[in-house]
Amino acid sequence: MHIPDILIDSRVALATTVVGAAGLAYGLGRVERRHGERTTSLMGMMAAFVFAAQMVNFPVGPGVSGHLLGGVLSAVILGPWAGAVVIAAVLIVQCLVFQDGGVTALGANFLNMGLIGSVGGYAIHAPIRKAIGGPKGVLVGSMIAAWFSVLLAAGAFAIELAVGGGNHDFIRILTWMALVHAVIGVGEAIITGLVVRFVLLTRPELILDEERTAEDFETDSGAAPAAEPSRNPGWLATLAAGLGIALGVAVFVSPFAYDAPDGLEYVGEKFGFLPDESHAPMLPSPMPDYEAPLPFSVPGLDTAKVATAAAGFAGTLIVFAFAWTLSRAFSRSTAKPSETTAHVA
Amino acid sequence: MSLDDFGSLEGTNTGRGPLHRLDARVKLVAAVAFVVAVAAVPLGSWRALGGLGLILAVLIVLSGASPLRLIGRWLGFLLLVGFLAALTAGGRAAAEGMSWGMVVLNLLVKNSLAFLMMMVLAEVTPWNKLLGGMRRLGAPSILIATLSFMQRYIFVLGDELARMLTARRARSFRSRGGPGFAMLSSLIGVLLLRALEREERVHAAMTARGWDGTMRALDD
Repeated sequence: MHIPDILIDSRVALATTVVGAAGLAYGLGRVERRHGERTTSLMGMMAAFVFAAQMVNFPVGPGVSGHLLGGVLSAVILGPWAGAVVIAAVLIVQCLVFQDGGVTALGANFLNMGLIGSVGGYAIHAPIRKAIGGPKGVLVGSMIAAWFSVLLAAGAFAIELAVGGGNHDFIRILTWMALVHAVIGVGEAIITGLVVRFVLLTRPELILDEERTAEDFETDSGAAPAAEPSRNPGWLATLAAGLGIALGVAVFVSPFAYDAPDGLEYVGEKFGFLPDESHAPMLPSPMPDYEAPLPFSVPGLDTAKVATAAAGFAGTLIVFAFAWTLSRAFSRSTAKPSETTAHVA
Repeated sequence: MSLDDFGSLEGTNTGRGPLHRLDARVKLVAAVAFVVAVAAVPLGSWRALGGLGLILAVLIVLSGASPLRLIGRWLGFLLLVGFLAALTAGGRAAAEGMSWGMVVLNLLVKNSLAFLMMMVLAEVTPWNKLLGGMRRLGAPSILIATLSFMQRYIFVLGDELARMLTARRARSFRSRGGPGFAMLSSLIGVLLLRALEREERVHAAMTARGWDGTMRALDD
């Protein structure tokens, strides 16, 4: 979902524009150092591919369809910063030609989908891929990364929207964003998984390989977990551990949401972002005057929170189930490529 | 959404109106300045918004763009904007002491002004002119070159996609629910492989002709 103009606070727009421009400049530099004079044709072609792939509509339900976002997919094929540059190119064309996403929100959109979606998504992908190893690792890693990249981008979106609107909206915005994007994220994970599986079965050498991965991503994204170089501790054990952690994170989102406004408020007041909310009661009395405004506010915010936590829980389970099912193709020795190419002329 | 509706990307929107003839740099800077000005108008000052709206109306008339087209696309995005405005308006309404409905209305009007201005910009400026303008305004040349490569390949890959869909329709039965996830993902997978292979060929051909990574444009 692209942020349109005006809806985020001007200060947020300015800050994200600066961060986005700096991130893009750094990404372009890294990609150029790696690909040299090939950068422009490679990035241009990949961006055109993501743009074209986004036009393929996947049926989700009656009257509803979704499409690939492609941040994690391009990061898995070309590397994290190349993925971010590709997303930047797509966002610029969508903004300036199709008015999809505001020009003052370009920085915010790039931060959410390029820097968090692609670079952050790759930071999730890399350790999982290393821990599991082989094509299975690539597949499972990219699906889980796709799922989390969408959720993280939605979280960032919610924060950006909430900063201008007063922090009491934060929970509501986060709840709605997380609910909508829990569904989108499952779709993104499944499509990314199916495409990555297709590439693994037909031209596996096109996917960025591990040695180059190591030098391209020298742990500069800090908090990447699973730092210990465990030599294949067993696929099942890793899966169980990963599933446990992911479920923990997904469920953890809801208690976190209770504390977040205070944290945000603290930061906001400290830096003078937020107006001094002297008229807003600090104590969480059951939603004093903020209940009325929303015509579609769910009966009781707690219901929505429970629903969001449930959606996060269910989504994580679904993504794992699909990752497990899809990666079974690689345990039957090496599958025949003809099996999948036959689908398309 | 069909790509043919967007003459800007293809470069077919080369009209002869006064706005078409203007330098792309001027148009880009002016449009962004207009959007920033709209964003800077404080909540509730309708007179300032009215003034900006008047400027926009004059520009729309000068651009010669079909109002029906503008309104159609504008309405298409209004739903999403309304959803987001409704989500965020509560806090702002409390902070500014305005009613919730007024804040939503204000956000919608401001967003519409910005949206229509960006649309007018795209209507009167072909994409390659806009890219040239961005380059001369100091955007990194590698980004500009990437964007102009992307423009060419969007049409190539779009055609490729259409051919594959036609071929599939011509050779197979249609299931009731339409093509499924697996089939569509394979389609995207094939498109990805073809795109990367095409890039290899294009790059080899460019290198053979002395490509060194710098784009040389004629229109400076």
